[in-house]
Amino acid sequence: MGDLVWTSVVDLARMIATKEVSPVEVTRAFLERVAALDGTLKSFITVTGDSALDAARAAEADLVAGRVQGPLLGVPLGLKDLFNTAGVRTTGGSKILADSVPTADATVVRRLRAAGAIVLGKLNMHEFAYGPEGLNEHYGHARNPWDAQQTRVTGGSSSGSGAAVAAALVPVALGSDTGGSIRIPAALCGITGIKPTYGRASRAGVLPLAWSMDHVGPMARSAADCAIVLRAMAGYDPADPTTSVLPVPDYGAALTGEIKGLRVGLLRPFFMDGSAPEVTAAVQSAARALEGLGAVVDEVRLESVWPVAAASFAIVASEALAYHAAWMRTRSADYQPDVRERLKMGAFVTGVQYVRAQQVRARVRAEVDEALARRDVLLAPTTPLPAPVLGQTETRIGDAKTDVRSALIRLTRPFNFSGHPACSLPCGVSGDGLPIGMQLVGRPFDEATVLRVADAYQRATDWHRRRPPLA
Amino acid sequence: MRSAMRLAGFAWSDAELDALRPGLERALASLDELERLPLGDTEPTTQYRIF
Repeated sequence: MGDLVWTSVVDLARMIATKEVSPVEVTRAFLERVAALDGTLKSFITVTGDSALDAARAAEADLVAGRVQGPLLGVPLGLKDLFNTAGVRTTGGSKILADSVPTADATVVRRLRAAGAIVLGKLNMHEFAYGPEGLNEHYGHARNPWDAQQTRVTGGSSSGSGAAVAAALVPVALGSDTGGSIRIPAALCGITGIKPTYGRASRAGVLPLAWSMDHVGPMARSAADCAIVLRAMAGYDPADPTTSVLPVPDYGAALTGEIKGLRVGLLRPFFMDGSAPEVTAAVQSAARALEGLGAVVDEVRLESVWPVAAASFAIVASEALAYHAAWMRTRSADYQPDVRERLKMGAFVTGVQYVRAQQVRARVRAEVDEALARRDVLLAPTTPLPAPVLGQTETRIGDAKTDVRSALIRLTRPFNFSGHPACSLPCGVSGDGLPIGMQLVGRPFDEATVLRVADAYQRATDWHRRRPPLA
Repeated sequence: MRSAMRLAGFAWSDAELDALRPGLERALASLDELERLPLGDTEPTTQYRIF
């Protein structure tokens, strides 16, 4: 079981297809690991062991009969508990939806099942995805597997996805990202996660936080694993009118390991300059590693990102309260306190402020587009600090004191604003042994180049292969 | 605060509003900054480019 659960998605899919291992054997190995470790990690809200084993037996029967197979046949998958699953409760990490059982799968879930993936269960999250720490008072806070003392947050809101992948309870999970909720837990838990371009993957059947900022994407232990899963889930969906009709490329084929001559823009002011020294040093070292692989690195300044915090608040608070307004009038006491407080704040944003925020957004997008007109990807830290301690509300970065929540989300949300694809991957460890993540940002719908650079970096380094102490 | 809350259709107690005040004051200050930005006639983004 030990080696099997640490096997990549790419290798698991190949080993199953060639009958080197059976889907049942693989599914059992991961379920046993969930049973052994999740009492501590609290990464799952619902484990669907019986249906997973049924699906694994069906996949095995398909294999034996030689029926046409999908690219993820027999590969276990975890779902953040805001992706609708037919017949299985989808709580949004809330008390309010604790018994809500959808009748249909979210589009991306249906596509991944069609590709052969086996759903092991529904993963923990910050309630209704409204928080970057990954806290959940209803189902317990997920724990960061990199902290043997179990005192560090996973980051959120896709907290269970981060913890479960990092501890090899699942080889891949889906997350959602409104201000960084895939990339923040990916960085804090030492894994790889990609927020694709807005419109690349369907949000139909996914509980919203803020419709115009929500993205969905895979979280795994490598860019190569994200590539195979993203290809299977992405593409136009008539049920989500924001999805693009652009064809989905073979992301795996783009992973050539070759990045010679690619232009990388290192985001210096706001991003590098606003991060803890050990984070800055790790990302600077990664930039040198990319140069060593033949990339051309220069420094970039984005001026438009400074008001993103205020503009993001105006948009997310308004859209989130719009979705939650009815429950906030009738079931306000059923929200965990921090989420209830954030939702209330949406009542005080004016229409004028919302539109001003959308103006800021247009400027951010234009400036990122301009930076990428002369470069293939941009590089920045994912978070300005490694995983904070549970309950920690303030931190110090350089001489400045800041609140943890604002710090965690500061560097990721500009690209929810702009809609550009962004992938977080591990690039170092802190003095406390905690993972440090960097993000690569690409042109709209050019996930292939983002993943190609991430994969080339991972071929040359081993940060993504390190295993946390709790695993 | 009370007027804005009622306009939005909510009826939170004075104690709830008081608890909200510190965070809200910070948020409102940042929104004031948003209103002072020289955004000119930048057209607001309401739709993403769909290729």
